[in-house]
Amino acid sequence: MKSRIFQALVIGASVIGATAGAQTTGHAAPPVATSESGAAGLSVRRAPVSDSSRSYDAQALRFETHWGSADIIRGADGRAIGTVGWFRDFDVEKLVASSPQAVTEVRAFETNSFRGSLVGGLGALTLVVGALVTANSSNNAASPILIVAGGGAMVWGAQHLNAGYSRLSLAFWWYNRDLAR
Amino acid sequence: MARFILSACVAAHIALSGVSVLTAQEGTAYDDNALRLEGHIGDVRIVRGAQGTVLGKIGVFRGVDVAKLVSPSEKATTEAKNFARDYGPGTWLTSLGIATLGAWIGVSRINDVNHGITTGLLLASTGLIVYGGGRLENAYNALSRSVWWYNRDLER
Repeated sequence: MKSRIFQALVIGASVIGATAGAQTTGHAAPPVATSESGAAGLSVRRAPVSDSSRSYDAQALRFETHWGSADIIRGADGRAIGTVGWFRDFDVEKLVASSPQAVTEVRAFETNSFRGSLVGGLGALTLVVGALVTANSSNNAASPILIVAGGGAMVWGAQHLNAGYSRLSLAFWWYNRDLAR
Repeated sequence: MARFILSACVAAHIALSGVSVLTAQEGTAYDDNALRLEGHIGDVRIVRGAQGTVLGKIGVFRGVDVAKLVSPSEKATTEAKNFARDYGPGTWLTSLGIATLGAWIGVSRINDVNHGITTGLLLASTGLIVYGGGRLENAYNALSRSVWWYNRDLER
């Protein structure tokens, strides 16, 4: 009887060992398996194809800014898959659709980005007009008002753009978090 | 036989408990330690974890030692050094450009001023802002890459 107990414990220990091994080799699978059960998680982690195709290295997102717009970059090789900002309409929401928290953050990013781009753009235009009026040495009383109003609008727009990109950063944080898990 | 079934149940329980503990540890590494960036007027904050603990602020003339912060990851450290290399000059040149733009606006309002001076100030300010802005942009992109690599190298 003791040997049978020992046998059962050995079987149990081997299951633990196999599970631990599956979790430490490479990056695990993303939330493709919607089931929350441990058994489903185990089967996904053991599938090497799933691991290699959707690992953090291949799928994780980040962005790099370029004069008001931002390139969305995927993976370790730095492949640009789209551009956002300055009235561009790349569907980021679709990109991060597998992570609900990321989708929420992307919506906030889109709202802030649109407001920031619009108001900031108008502010820049107003500032340039004010600067040109000033440069022409005309003592027009409107020129300081235009410069101050334009500067103010640019600051407001920049603040919203900043807030927007912070939300985008958070969106990608959540998306990358849900990868390889 | 009953003892055998009992011991098998105990073994299975141990096995399943082991799985759940490992999964929790796996989730903790990223949730607690992964970094991200938050932009605010005047500074960029490096934030850690799902709770958003602010580790440091990178402002106009101040900053944190990003290389030290991401030192566990080799590639992240390299990118952090790229950030440090571009950030200082970018900040100074952009600030100088903005100051020169202010000077141009002021000089432009003076009557009978030499047009060469105003044109020179305008060109200098534009050049400084564009070049300094470009360096700053390179710096922030290097920072973004640094954070990405750091999070990538977190234990999963």
